[in-house]
Amino acid sequence: MKQRYVLRVNGRDLEAEAGAHESLLDVLRERLRLTGSKKGCNEAECGSCTVLLDGRPVVSCLVLVPDAADRDVVTIEALAEEGVPHPIQRQMVEQGGVQCGYCTPGMIMSAYALLRDNPDPTDEEIRFAISGNICRCTGYGKIVKAVRAAALEMKEQSGNGGAAS
Amino acid sequence: MAIRKGLGIGSMYYGIGYGFSRADIGSAEIEMAEDGTTTVYSGACDMGQGVMTVVTQVAAEELGIEPDQIRVVAADTGSTPDAGPTSGSRATFVQGVAVQNAAAELREQILDMASRMLECPKENLAVRRGQVCEIESGHEMVSVGKVAHQLHFHGRRAAAWGWHDNTTADVDPETSQGDAYATYGWATQLAEVEVDTETGRVRLTKLVSATDAGKAINPVAVEGQIEGGATMGLGYGLYEQHILEGGIPRTNSLAFYLVPTAMDVPDIECEIVEVPDPRGPFGAKGVAEPATIPTTPAILNAIHDAIGIRITETPITPERVFFAIQEARIRGEFEED
Repeated sequence: MKQRYVLRVNGRDLEAEAGAHESLLDVLRERLRLTGSKKGCNEAECGSCTVLLDGRPVVSCLVLVPDAADRDVVTIEALAEEGVPHPIQRQMVEQGGVQCGYCTPGMIMSAYALLRDNPDPTDEEIRFAISGNICRCTGYGKIVKAVRAAALEMKEQSGNGGAAS
Repeated sequence: MAIRKGLGIGSMYYGIGYGFSRADIGSAEIEMAEDGTTTVYSGACDMGQGVMTVVTQVAAEELGIEPDQIRVVAADTGSTPDAGPTSGSRATFVQGVAVQNAAAELREQILDMASRMLECPKENLAVRRGQVCEIESGHEMVSVGKVAHQLHFHGRRAAAWGWHDNTTADVDPETSQGDAYATYGWATQLAEVEVDTETGRVRLTKLVSATDAGKAINPVAVEGQIEGGATMGLGYGLYEQHILEGGIPRTNSLAFYLVPTAMDVPDIECEIVEVPDPRGPFGAKGVAEPATIPTTPAILNAIHDAIGIRITETPITPERVFFAIQEARIRGEFEED
């Protein structure tokens, strides 16, 4: 039996008809056409479907849609502002952190949550934060480098912003 | 905790391409629009290896135009000619030459038209950075875009097809002797491990990899291939075990079949060795599988260096190391701390 749910996705209230057994990931991808979040394993092992739920990184394949209703969902689609990529997105490309790209959206969401809480992480903290996101192409070194470079870029940006105000 | 450190080396060589007289073909089409922007139709499928970037760079270099003027349509059976699979570390080595051949023919079409437009012998002209230049003075005579416009305006060809056959002879069926592959990749890796002699747990703490790339067309992509390849080698060595029981897979999820995470992979130091191979595009050859092969032997040798025991089965799980140490103890062959 389908029901109407209101999901607050990327700051907008979106309505979706879905069964109570459907995952947030399936509703994002199939009903709301937000296909940035990827379905890798569909059993919470690979991390490619990572989104933020009330600010916390979660694997959206394991969240039932009723549990996501009336809560804040942030997906990879929200990171670029007016077509300008987020520093993490830009640095992932710049540093060679993207190969096939399938893990990339989930990887970036985990890194995004890390840098919000810890703007100056050590390499060890970066590795821990993305350890739930499996990448089969890169060997992770360039992803860690990209997150580190993005952290520096974001710190400089907020530093400049502070000086301007 | 009793941690022992060890160092080990693994080396390998690996045939690039299909070899053994198996069909090993690359083909590509290239087409220049009347503003000089160029489309390459390449059958090679990119699954993260970077072959689309390689195709772009090879075409740009051979044509003499900037890479941002090139669009690649890849692996579309409706529009791209067959280039075989992206496997056997062959895509750059085989398809790269096909693209180079296509781009070289298109460049001749541009130079023919430029020669007519400029009333200047073709052999005095070259294409550089999107401009037709006089070779001697380096003087920029006309843009490639203007020449392309004239080609289209006069209904002349601004398109070419490139083909490359890398099929080799087979080895002798009686003796198995002979040169099975067109070329070989070479790699050596140095692994540093820590072995916990109480639990048997092995950690790879550092890996240095030297890989012969012939010529690194895109060094960042080559490093990506080496780091990713070595990480697969690490998984093969320490974690990845496919268990079948009566034909039923018992390791049917990533919770049971363990692949390396960011916490398992150490810093990988990449040395790209460049000894140009005359058969590859601009001297390049494949690097992907060569980076995977020496990792496990390097780890196994490092474990031997650390604890004096030869492990002969992969993956090198804590249980296997633990029991190997216990057996060595019983035989009185294990050197205690």
